[in-house]
Amino acid sequence: MITVKNLYHQFELGKKGNKTTLPVLEDISFRIQEKEIVAIKGRSGSGKSTLLNLISGFIRPTQGEIWINGTNVTELNETDFAEFRLQYIGFIFQNFQLIPSMTAFQNIELPLILKGTPASARQKIVEETLEKVGLQNHKEHYPSELSGGQQQRVSIARALVLNPPLILADEPTGSLDSETEENLLHFIEQLNRDLGITFLIITHDEQVARIGNRTIEIADGSLLEGSDSREI
Amino acid sequence: MKFKDQYQFVSQNIKKNKIRVFMTVLATAIGCAFLIVLASVGFGLHDSILKETMEDRAVTEVQVHGRETDGNYQPLTDEDIDFFESLEGVKAVTRNKQLYQTPTYKLEDYQAQSNTLVSHFPSEVKAGLELSEGRLPEKENEVIVGYNFRSNLLLSDVNQEELYNDQDEPKDKYLYQDSLIGKVMDMEVIQINDNQEETKSISLKIVGVTEKPGREWEEDRSVYISNSVLKEVEEFTGTARGMVDSPGGEQQGPELEIGAYDQVTIYATSIETVKQVSEQLETENYASYSVISEMEQINILFTIMKAGLILIGTIAVLIASIGIYNTMTMAVTERAPDIGIMKAIGAKPKIIKRIFVLESSLIGLAGAVIGTIVAYVISFAVNIGLPLIIESAFNEELPPGLKFSMIPWTLVLIAVGICLVVTILSGLRPAKRATQIDVLKAMRREV
Ligand SMILES: Nc1ncnc2c1ncn2[C@@H]1O[C@H](COP(=O)(O)OP(=O)(O)OP(=O)(O)O)[C@@H](O)[C@H]1O
Ligand SMILES: [Mg+2]
Repeated sequence: MITVKNLYHQFELGKKGNKTTLPVLEDISFRIQEKEIVAIKGRSGSGKSTLLNLISGFIRPTQGEIWINGTNVTELNETDFAEFRLQYIGFIFQNFQLIPSMTAFQNIELPLILKGTPASARQKIVEETLEKVGLQNHKEHYPSELSGGQQQRVSIARALVLNPPLILADEPTGSLDSETEENLLHFIEQLNRDLGITFLIITHDEQVARIGNRTIEIADGSLLEGSDSREI
Repeated sequence: MKFKDQYQFVSQNIKKNKIRVFMTVLATAIGCAFLIVLASVGFGLHDSILKETMEDRAVTEVQVHGRETDGNYQPLTDEDIDFFESLEGVKAVTRNKQLYQTPTYKLEDYQAQSNTLVSHFPSEVKAGLELSEGRLPEKENEVIVGYNFRSNLLLSDVNQEELYNDQDEPKDKYLYQDSLIGKVMDMEVIQINDNQEETKSISLKIVGVTEKPGREWEEDRSVYISNSVLKEVEEFTGTARGMVDSPGGEQQGPELEIGAYDQVTIYATSIETVKQVSEQLETENYASYSVISEMEQINILFTIMKAGLILIGTIAVLIASIGIYNTMTMAVTERAPDIGIMKAIGAKPKIIKRIFVLESSLIGLAGAVIGTIVAYVISFAVNIGLPLIIESAFNEELPPGLKFSMIPWTLVLIAVGICLVVTILSGLRPAKRATQIDVLKAMRREV
């Protein structure tokens, strides 16, 4: 599903004439199989989010290749990457990233609108997805009118609505209490089991790492010895 | 993403910022209205001047003076008239013969000396001649008289000093007061035979009066007689056109052909065909003159003036476009987090750009439409109000039919076009900026 080959990333800091570079990732290589749940662990500042943002295409690597579903995404231009994200990747963010001026329904509908699904078909798909996350009674609520857990379920519904084979999640439970977190993790396992969705989840908490089939650990920008990279 | 959904997005965004969008639309509308009203003055005055010149038929007129053969000008005869009438783009060919003496007309106790012409009425009517009263002559002794003929018709037996006022105009009380229609008057022509003046009187019935000439300073005091009356006069004088022999017995002036016309005027169907007609005449060696060349100069002048006014008006639209630029920039900044989320999910930059361009074009379109409506209202008010103000303030009578402001649909098209182009252009940069928003920064609310 995902193959990362010799990935390097460094941030450029400072202004012109006074530039410094900050290497964050160095020679990262790993492979993730279909239908896996993989947790990425590591201390704060170790480069987990950077890795996920590279896979998402929000930033571009300094060096190396990322293959998703047979496509070398590092070669895609911005437009094609957007299209690729829409087709293949669902996102769950730490702070939900819902559009505050849109209702739960409208937030979930957004990917369908971007894809060009006709309005008549959208209604049914969104209703079904709302049901999947158990929010059929909250569809007219705005994000500010929902609890944190409910908001995260809306964002999961938005990630699911186009049936992507892959979902990327950066600390999805970071803003939730432990009970809600527990529920969310169960839900992720269930989606993985029932729909065969591959999950790549960043976490620094053991509980989340536990549901993963595997754990990849990053320390100081490199994969930690012993974490799973044998398959490359 | 479907257009309908894009529109939905835009309309939601507009609803969220009603007042700001309204103000921007207002500014655009004012700019657009200013542009249209300003330019409409150029259009209105041009139109008024064209119409005024058109009204006295001068614009489509081609005067033909003669035909050149072997370096000599031949007077025009019926043969030439037939040729003119066969030309393409010709509406009418009027022709007249002048009586080469000024007869005295006597009506009851009044008398007048008037220029006398033979005209071909069917063609005059086709060319646009209208009567202020009465009808066209049907019988040989029926005549029509010019609109100002009445001012020649003075009471006889009044001495000259008494007859005229300080301005050398005849006093009203000595002018003929009754209707001229149906009145019978005597035309007296003279001829000198053996140093003896002989007089012949022909009785004529007035059946019509021509319309008031289009221009203030023009006067028509002529009497229009029929061909057979002319013949009668020619028989009496024994000369062409009733020319009076000089007392010495020798002929004066040019040799005249009986059938030739003194004045031939071709009326073209439209301004556009005047040129065509003139060219055809030229190839056939006719000498002709039309005012269309002078009109062309006027047209060029007004076209430059209109272009200048549109240019000045465009500045107002440009100023309004600053408002659109500002509004759109604010909209992009405000919505940056949303744009970041949309981009993260998979919105292509093109779509983001299109949504913002659509929003600014809608503002521009609304401004243009409202501006056009307002411009029409202002134009209407100016056309009614300004003459009233000028007339009461300066005590000056304005020419009837003068239009200060006119908005033809071409002007509306130009103005709306300028408005749309300017607003879309001013919305392009903010839209471009929206596409360049960094996803991660936007999601961290850092934009
Ligand atoms: N946009 C950026 N510009 C410059 N440096 C950055 C940028 N984003 C991240 N960094 C740096 O890269 C390093 C890794 O950051 P990253 O966000 O990947 O860490 P992380 O593992 O996700 O940490 P956390 O667990 O706290 O989320 C950090 O040292 C950070 O300062
Ligand atoms: Mg992080």
